Amino acid sequence: MKHLVVLLMVLTLSSYVYSEDAKEIMRRSQNAFLYQADDMKVKVTMRLISSSGAERRRVLTMLRRDVTDGGRQFYYIYFHEPPDVKGMTFMVHKYPDRDDDRWLFIPALNMVKRIAARDRASSFVGSDFTYEDVSGRDIDEDEHQLLRKEVLKGENCLVIKSIPRKEDMPYSYRISWISEKTYLPLKIEYYNHTGKVYKVFTADEVKNIQGYPTVVRRTMRNLQSGHRTEVSFEEVKYNIGLEEGIFTERFLRRPPRSLLR
Amino acid sequence: MSLVRLALRYPKLTIALTIFLTILLVSSMPTMKIDTDPENMLSQDEPVRVFHRQVKKEFGIEEMIVLGMVNERGIFNKGSLRKIKTLTDEIMTIEGVVAEDVMSLSATNNVISRAGLLEVRPPLERVPSKEEEIVLLKKEVMDNPLFRDRLVSSDGKGTAIYVPIVDKDVAHEVAERIKKLYRPLEGPERFYMAGLPLAEDTFGAEMFKEMAVVAPLAGGLLMLLLWLLFRRVLLVVPAMVVAMLSVLWSMGAMIWLGLKVHIMSSMIPVFLMPIAVCDSVHVLSDFYENYRGHDRDSVIKDVYTSLFKPMLYTSLTTAVGFANLAWAKIPPVRVFGLFVAFGVMAAWLLTITFIPAFLVLLKERSLKGIETKTSRSRVLALMADVSLAKGKAVVVIGVVLLLVAIFGILRLRVNDNPVKWFKEHHPLRVADRVLNRIIGGTYISYLVFESNESERMKSPEVLKYIDSLQRYLESHHLVGKTTSVADVVKRINYVLHDGDPQFESIPDDRRTIGQYLFLFLMSSDPDELDNLVTYDYRKANLWVQMRSGDNRDMSAVVKAVEEFVEENPLPEGITMKWSGLPYLNIIWQDMMVKGMLKATVGSYWVVFLLLVVLFRSVWWAVVAILPLSFSIIFSYGLIGFGGKDYDMPIAVCSTLTLGLGIDFAIHFCQRLRGGLKQRGDFHQAIQWVTKGEPSVAIARNAIVVGLGFLPLVLSTLTPYVTVGLFFGSLAFFAGMTTLFFLPALIVTFRERLFRGGQS
Repeated sequence: MKHLVVLLMVLTLSSYVYSEDAKEIMRRSQNAFLYQADDMKVKVTMRLISSSGAERRRVLTMLRRDVTDGGRQFYYIYFHEPPDVKGMTFMVHKYPDRDDDRWLFIPALNMVKRIAARDRASSFVGSDFTYEDVSGRDIDEDEHQLLRKEVLKGENCLVIKSIPRKEDMPYSYRISWISEKTYLPLKIEYYNHTGKVYKVFTADEVKNIQGYPTVVRRTMRNLQSGHRTEVSFEEVKYNIGLEEGIFTERFLRRPPRSLLR
Repeated sequence: MSLVRLALRYPKLTIALTIFLTILLVSSMPTMKIDTDPENMLSQDEPVRVFHRQVKKEFGIEEMIVLGMVNERGIFNKGSLRKIKTLTDEIMTIEGVVAEDVMSLSATNNVISRAGLLEVRPPLERVPSKEEEIVLLKKEVMDNPLFRDRLVSSDGKGTAIYVPIVDKDVAHEVAERIKKLYRPLEGPERFYMAGLPLAEDTFGAEMFKEMAVVAPLAGGLLMLLLWLLFRRVLLVVPAMVVAMLSVLWSMGAMIWLGLKVHIMSSMIPVFLMPIAVCDSVHVLSDFYENYRGHDRDSVIKDVYTSLFKPMLYTSLTTAVGFANLAWAKIPPVRVFGLFVAFGVMAAWLLTITFIPAFLVLLKERSLKGIETKTSRSRVLALMADVSLAKGKAVVVIGVVLLLVAIFGILRLRVNDNPVKWFKEHHPLRVADRVLNRIIGGTYISYLVFESNESERMKSPEVLKYIDSLQRYLESHHLVGKTTSVADVVKRINYVLHDGDPQFESIPDDRRTIGQYLFLFLMSSDPDELDNLVTYDYRKANLWVQMRSGDNRDMSAVVKAVEEFVEENPLPEGITMKWSGLPYLNIIWQDMMVKGMLKATVGSYWVVFLLLVVLFRSVWWAVVAILPLSFSIIFSYGLIGFGGKDYDMPIAVCSTLTLGLGIDFAIHFCQRLRGGLKQRGDFHQAIQWVTKGEPSVAIARNAIVVGLGFLPLVLSTLTPYVTVGLFFGSLAFFAGMTTLFFLPALIVTFRERLFRGGQS
């Protein structure tokens, strides 16, 4: 009997420790994945591929500045391609505790328009990635559990299940494979309300840039529609000293040329 | 004849063989596969089908079921709106539904600008709780061309949910699931479901129910009729056995060969049964007349001697008439023609083997009393007298009637609509009417614009052209609603200019258009514009919704578009093509009508040649084919006057007219010539033929065939009703012309017919 009580205590304690662990792992992962360094500049090529194989290409430069790790963040996006949208710019101010602010500049009308932020689970610039996939999700919004350790693509991974506390997400839970070495997610599976995987994220290539392991090629597949988005990062630079002033309406209309070459 | 002798010598073996063959062929039945898709009227590689598949793939278009909800007090209240939202959400989870392409107030994106904030989201993203929000929502959709007449009725009392399905085959199943979802939500709202794929799939499901009811009913009635005519069960049974077996043989052979049972081939049993009994009716009728306790073997031999040739030829002509359908370009029609031909020949074979074997094995006791009956009919005698005495007058009357009938044929209207395959009160027909009142139409066709350079569909010139075609189409009384990428561009232009009506137009430069579309795409899901424009902007798709699925209405719209293009040439390098189910239907209808006509004309000549061979006289062949020609023309004339559309079932019927109509005349002429040889005197012979056993047999057959098809009238599916009515009238006309006009013709042209020492 005594043994049993001890065993039970150990078990409860360990599971408690486990869930604390899981949350900490996710926090570390988010910082390694989406909040590396203080700021970042990258040239992104996005390929949107339909189930029948038709393809749309987008080329953009993205500037990112973190105000606090895991918290406020600014994004500035300049579109190079397709050709007729060259010069369109898009800006996101992300707040951890309220809806994003988003602005779009339409050069043909010389007009800046504020765009409603619907929800974070909506598509990011028409791709299969959502705003959350790009800029992360508040760690406390989910309950995290460490399921197991597993080797994926030759790397030791921590497999974590995250269940949203509120039922307002298109998925009921997701399972992430977090590399023990880099803390980058190598794979994320999204499960719908009937318990089937419907969306899969994969990190296809990781490079070390300025000491930061960076996912330079990634894919999001929608298994339901057969649609997928492939993203590749080029010319990644960290800590270039981006100022907050760049992330304003003024620079939406007049993109900072020096930064976008 | 040697077959008859063999059957008479080994009757038990013959019957055993028959049973064995039947079991062999019937054993394949459980593997029956069913194909209810009228699209399969066209072969898989037919260009229009290839294009249809391509369009579906490129634009991610699926076949649509439309669910309508009507609330007489208007749908803009919390309760009704919640129902739309709940239903939409639940429908998306049904297996077989293409969730991301479901269109409804709560699923289809709208672009709005409110307080300087641009929003791309469905109007009913969440159910509004406050009255002001509901008013705002109503305003948002009611003056929005992307929603009005498409997702909301212009009086605000109805709304529609468009449910795309992965395949037409699941339409019925998905519809049943949807029904379960809305049943508990009924009141005050009422729900309706329609759409071509649903009609086509439901037709299939009901078709087999009907087949199971109607075919046995037809068989039962046939049996009853035979019994009324012969009053002797033992003479009815063999005829029925022949009918049943020939049906089982041909269906069995078809299934055995791995062919699917299509709408067409499902009609084989009802077609075959009345034809199959004809020969046996002649044999039994003759046997009945001549068997007076004589030596049974020799009576049977006598009967077959006089009937063998006409039976062979009537069967051959019927079979050839059907087999000719094999030349048609429509696969199910080929199968139908060949297997009815097979069944006809099977019936013939059974008549000359099974029937004699059966007659020989009958116990003497059961045939007692048979000799007291004689075949005479006062009506037939009267008809014969008039026809023979006033030959010329009768011929003149015939010609006049013929002209009237031809006038009727000129009024024939070629038309079809799978929804109209259901009777007026069928839920699908009701739903079709209601839905086509509240939205711009449940019949969706596509006009595809194509260029050989990418990005072309963003050019103002092309979009303005599409837009003007849309305005033109929407002014056409048959078109309810059109939707294209031009509507999206116009909407964004309008919204970005704060709802200034002046900007509800296509901008003048391509860059602006490109940025608008990009703005829309980057604020919505990846597949959002798929149904309207391809990824490379090389092709655009214009949705044309029509309130009627009649093929002639679709043809009228196609013609209207042709006229528009003639006056307003397409922008350079742009081509335009139709697709979609309603368009597919007019293509197969056209092929069907032409194919059937060709087949019928072809059969006509083959039958004529066979007659020449049979009678060894061109003139006899002409005389024999005349009653048939009359009856065909009369039947079609009647359809023309009756205002009935010339549709798929009628086209099928037209092929049968030949094979069936000619039989009576062949029997008549052949028996007359035989009688002449026997009696040597024309007057005696013609009196015997027109008033004696041959005419009675013909009249019996006309009654059996005419009434035998009548149970079809009870069917809930109109194609069966049509076939029933058509055959009733055809058998009546063919019988009448043979018994009334033919004697007059023969008397009038007697010299020509009996030239060369035959009389």
